[in-house]
Amino acid sequence: MLKEIKGRVWKLGDNIDTDVIYPGKCLPILDPQEMAKHALEGYDKDFPDKIQKGDIILGGSNFGCGSSREQAATSLKFAGISCIIAKSFSRIFFRNAINQGLALVQSKEAYDLIKQGEVITIDYARGEIVTENERIPFPPLPEIVMGILEDGGLIEHLKKSLKK
Amino acid sequence: MRFPKKEELLKLQAQYKTDKKIGQVLGVPAYLVAYWRRKKKIPKHSLPKYSFERVKELWETYGDDRKAGNELSISKAAFYKWRRKYNLLEKPKVLKLAQLEFSLPGSGRGKNRGLTIAQKGLALKVGKSGVQVGEIVYVEPDLAMSHDNAGLVIKQFREIGVSKVWNPDKIVIPLDHRAPAESEKTAEAHRSIRLFVKEQGIKNFYDIKEGICHQVVIEKGHILPGELAVGTDSHTTSYGCLGALSTGIGATEMAAVWATGNIWLRVPESLKLTLNGRLPLGVYAKDVILYIIGELSVEGANYKSVEFYGDTVENMSVSERFTLANLSMEMGGKFAIVPFDNVTKKYLKGRARRSYQPIYADENAIYENEYEYNISRLEPQVACPHNVDNVKSIDEIKGIKIDQVLLGSCTNGRIDDLEIAARLLKGKKVHPDTRMLVLPGSKSIYLEALKRGMIKTFLEANCVVLNPGCGPCLGAHEGLLAKGERCLATTNRNFKGRMGSTESEVYLASPATAAATAIRGEISDPRDFLKK
Repeated sequence: MLKEIKGRVWKLGDNIDTDVIYPGKCLPILDPQEMAKHALEGYDKDFPDKIQKGDIILGGSNFGCGSSREQAATSLKFAGISCIIAKSFSRIFFRNAINQGLALVQSKEAYDLIKQGEVITIDYARGEIVTENERIPFPPLPEIVMGILEDGGLIEHLKKSLKK
Repeated sequence: MRFPKKEELLKLQAQYKTDKKIGQVLGVPAYLVAYWRRKKKIPKHSLPKYSFERVKELWETYGDDRKAGNELSISKAAFYKWRRKYNLLEKPKVLKLAQLEFSLPGSGRGKNRGLTIAQKGLALKVGKSGVQVGEIVYVEPDLAMSHDNAGLVIKQFREIGVSKVWNPDKIVIPLDHRAPAESEKTAEAHRSIRLFVKEQGIKNFYDIKEGICHQVVIEKGHILPGELAVGTDSHTTSYGCLGALSTGIGATEMAAVWATGNIWLRVPESLKLTLNGRLPLGVYAKDVILYIIGELSVEGANYKSVEFYGDTVENMSVSERFTLANLSMEMGGKFAIVPFDNVTKKYLKGRARRSYQPIYADENAIYENEYEYNISRLEPQVACPHNVDNVKSIDEIKGIKIDQVLLGSCTNGRIDDLEIAARLLKGKKVHPDTRMLVLPGSKSIYLEALKRGMIKTFLEANCVVLNPGCGPCLGAHEGLLAKGERCLATTNRNFKGRMGSTESEVYLASPATAAATAIRGEISDPRDFLKK
C-alpha cells in the first residue's frame, strides 16, 4: 500500500497547462534531474528553487492540459513534488503522472478547504486528505492505476510483471 | 343573461384566463365579457409571463420566431411581440447550443442500449460484442506513432529491458518537431532514433524530409477506419478524420507498448456533436471548432470520445475533418471521430494497403450529451491568449497589432489552407511591420503548392517559407516570440509561453484570417478581402 504523504501545499489555479509546467524549448533534455530545474518555470521562474522535497501541489480543474509531454510530470516528480491534488486532471497528464509514479488525488472539495502553505497529510489507505481542521474524503483510483503507482511507476510495474 | 358579480368574474378569469374562453363557458361573445370586466374594473388577464432570460435564451437558441414560439406554445407573432418588448431585435449571429438530451454517464449499460463508436471500436479490439462505459480494457493498437520524442521512448524502452519491439511494422516514426535538428541535444536524439529503427527493423521511419507526423500518417495510409492508434503526441486524435480511434499517450507508456504490444484504456463516455448549415463566406472548419471549444470549454470533452455528425461535416473534406478532430484535443477529447463515408473512402483510394472495417454508432447509442449547432451564420473566430476556449468573434478583436503570422501546423498546414491564404495574398505584400512564416504540412503538400504557384505567391508577398515541420508551433525553433510580441497562428495552442517568451501572446485563427492579418499587420476580417 502507498504510504501516507505529508507535505506543504502550493496552491495553483485552473488549467495549469503543460507548456507552463514544462516549456517546449526544454523537451530535448533526457536527464530527469535536469528536467526538474524547469518544473513550472512558466508559472513562476523561481518555482523550481522554492520547492522543497515532499511538497504537494493543489490545482484547480483540468490540471496538466495540453501536450502529451510526460516531462511535465517527470519534472515535478524530480523537483520533489510528492503528490498533486486537483479538482480534475487532463487525461494524458493523469496517465503520465501515474506512469512516472507521481501520486495523484482527485478531489472537487479540497481546493476550497485547503490554504496555500498549509501542511497536510494524504492517507491513501483511508482515502482521506487530513488537514488541521478537516478530513476530506476522496474517491479511490482504479485498481490498475493503484498497482502502477504502488510499484513506483510503469517501468517498475512492467519489470515486475515481466519477471513473473 | 344576468350581469355576473365581480367575484364570479374573477373566479372565471382565474380559471379560463381570456375573455374568449370565459365567453365560451357562459355562452356569450367575448366582447360582452370584456364589457362586464370594464364595468367591474377588472383588468384584462395578464399575458403569461415570460422572463427576459427565457425569451432571450430561446431567441439565441433558435433565432426564429416560429420555432422559439413553439417552445412556449405561442404563435410566431406572439413571440415576436415578446422579444420586441425586451428589445431583442437583432438576429443572433451564432446560435446557442441546444442541449438536446442529457443522460447520466454509464446509463448505457442496459442490454438494449446501443453502442457508440468508441464502445464498438474497443469491443472489436477485445473480441467482444460490446463493452461498457467506464470498463477498463487491454488492447493491442494497430499503430504506435512517435516523433522526435522517440528519443525518450527509446531511453525508457531500454530501461524495461526487452530487446525487441513487439511489432516493428506497427511502429511509425516521423521526425518533425525539431527538424532539422536545432541543437546538439536534438541531433543526438535524432541519431539515436536512426540507429534504433535500423536495429529493430522499423521500416516506417520518416526522416526530417517528410513532414508533420499526423499528416504523414494520414497521407501514407498508416491508419485506417475502425482501427486504433496511440501516439506520443496529444494531437493523435486527428486520425478520427478517417473514422479511426486514436489518442495521445506519454513516452514511458509508449515504451511499454513497444515492449508488450498492449495498453489499458478506459472505455470513455461519448459526446455527439451535430453540425448543420453551410459554412458562410470566410468561415472554415477552424472557425467552427474554435467556436465549439469556446462553448464547451477546454475540459468540455475531457476523457470523452467526440463524434461528429450533420450536413456541415458530411460536406467537409478529409482535410477539414482533420482540423475538427485535431482541435478536439483542446477540449480534452480522448477520441474525436468523423464516421466513415464516401469522402473518407475516396481519400483512402490508393493509400490504404490493407482491408479495413468502418465502425458506426448504433442508432440508439447512449451519449453523455448531445449538442447541435447551426453554423450558417457563424463569423470568423479567434482564440485569444492564453486559453483555447477564450474564443471571440472577429468583430470583437480586430485591429489588434500583430508582429508575426504563422501559417502551418498539423491543424492548418494542408493544401486547402495554403490555397486560401495564397488567394488572399496574391499580388499583395505582408505588412512591413509584420512577418509571416509559412510551413507546409508535408513534403507532398509543399510539392503541390509549388506546382500550383502558391510558394511563389508567398515569396512575392514577403512570406518566409520554411520546411515542413512543427517548429514554432510549440516554441521549439524557427520563429520564436520575444517579450511583448504578438503572433496570430493557424496552430492549436495559445498557452502562456507556448511560442517563446512567457510575456508574448498567441492568437489562433483560420488560414484566411491569418492571411488577412498579415496584409494589414493587425487582426483582420478575411471577408474584407473575399467579398470583392
